[in-house]
Amino acid sequence: MTPLMDSDRSAVEQVVCGVIGEILPGLAPATIPAGKHLKELGADSVDRVEIVLTIMDRLGLDLPMSDFSTIPSVGDLIDFLCEAAKT
Amino acid sequence: MTRFGIEALNVYCGLTYIPVEVLFEGRGLDMSRMANLMMDRRSIGLPFEDPVTNAVNAAWPIVDKLSDAERSRIDLVVTSTESGVDYSKSVASYVHEQLGLSRHCRVVEVKQACYAATAAIQLALGYLASGLGARGKALVIATDVAMVDARAEYAEPATGHGAAAILLSDEPRVMQIDLGASGIYSYEIMDTARPMPGFDIADVDRSLFAYLDCLSNCFTEYASRVDAADFQRTFDYLAFHTPFAGLVKAAHRKMMREFAAAQGPDAIEEDFTRRAGPSLVYPRIVGNLCSGSVYLALCSVIDTASYAGGARVGLYVYGSGCSAEFFSGLIGPQSRAVLAGMRIGERLAGRCELTFDEYNQIVKENQRILVPEERWDTDIATYREFADRVPGRPQLLAWRGQRNFHREYGWI
Repeated sequence: MTPLMDSDRSAVEQVVCGVIGEILPGLAPATIPAGKHLKELGADSVDRVEIVLTIMDRLGLDLPMSDFSTIPSVGDLIDFLCEAAKT
Repeated sequence: MTRFGIEALNVYCGLTYIPVEVLFEGRGLDMSRMANLMMDRRSIGLPFEDPVTNAVNAAWPIVDKLSDAERSRIDLVVTSTESGVDYSKSVASYVHEQLGLSRHCRVVEVKQACYAATAAIQLALGYLASGLGARGKALVIATDVAMVDARAEYAEPATGHGAAAILLSDEPRVMQIDLGASGIYSYEIMDTARPMPGFDIADVDRSLFAYLDCLSNCFTEYASRVDAADFQRTFDYLAFHTPFAGLVKAAHRKMMREFAAAQGPDAIEEDFTRRAGPSLVYPRIVGNLCSGSVYLALCSVIDTASYAGGARVGLYVYGSGCSAEFFSGLIGPQSRAVLAGMRIGERLAGRCELTFDEYNQIVKENQRILVPEERWDTDIATYREFADRVPGRPQLLAWRGQRNFHREYGWI
């Protein structure tokens, strides 16, 4: 896979926030705070599973779920996905 | 080839329960989270019920139906538990005595969180199939007590109470296990643990995500060992370890995305309802039975599904720590007839409903069950009234207390 450009990061961010907004309908994607954990946004454990799986589907990634278990915030999730997409 | 598998199966899930909705209200939990939890009732143990009494109360209806000659053929008793009562002496030693089994019998306890009973079953089946089992029956009992309280937050309403007893032999009237058809996946992880009696720790995401990773890896290995194995077509029914029913739904959805041809949400939902739904009827009204959980799910399939021509069941077990396995077996009309003798649905329906105040009192008292005491007298009299509210309840073994650390039991 080719290295990510800034515009690619923005695409990952769009997917992440879009999926979170779909699973947690009360949240508008544009207003999702990067510093919050999914739990703080109101996602229960099943929601978190669904968010991670759907994001991977959309980005065409196949990573172990365990890689996501200690990611502290939405912003860190986006960073992690960008890194994963590069390799 | 000789067939091996489950000759008899029973679960004991306590005498009392609290509706999950009442527990949510009482604890002030967010009611909107009930939908994904998919749990309806939680079984609660009484303070005179411990891992030994649960095991005996699950196994006795099986042993009681055996003739003396058949009973003497049990030459291996394994208890699996994460609720040990002693660092050295096994739960199995008490259980073997209370069941009155032959002294020419191996007795041992195993531990690997919610996977341990399945590990014991697979090892016992290998032992039986080898022909080295002189008398040819093995009894594996998964037994635990729940220590959770308000500190467990959303895990509390999903935690059950009880035991599952599984008699294995070359007369697999309940389920013929597909010998050698299995996929295993294990590695070290600190997701849940019980570092002290009365105190559980859990890292929810770490544990759930490991459950899901292991399921994919176990099934991949299963498929590599079993010709033409297909997640969607090979198994008429699915019975998974059920920490809460919502996780099984999420796991099914993940598997369909990975191992079934591309399908929309409606098709996945239909497949879940048809193949996994029957396994959740009992777990939803009991809670997580630890290593007995998948066998409660199997009872649920056998008692509630349609399979006049027989059916293959895919089973998945995950034990924190972690070790996991996907395996399979065959059930048929005889399975339902044999299990019906245990009256599981009727006994679950007959449990006594607790108020939130009664529940709180019992949960507090239950914290003592695994705490080592040189001398202890269990307050049977106070709590027996809950047991006596259950219509037509059979005689049950009760934990009377301890003398010189020796646990003492009696039938009530």
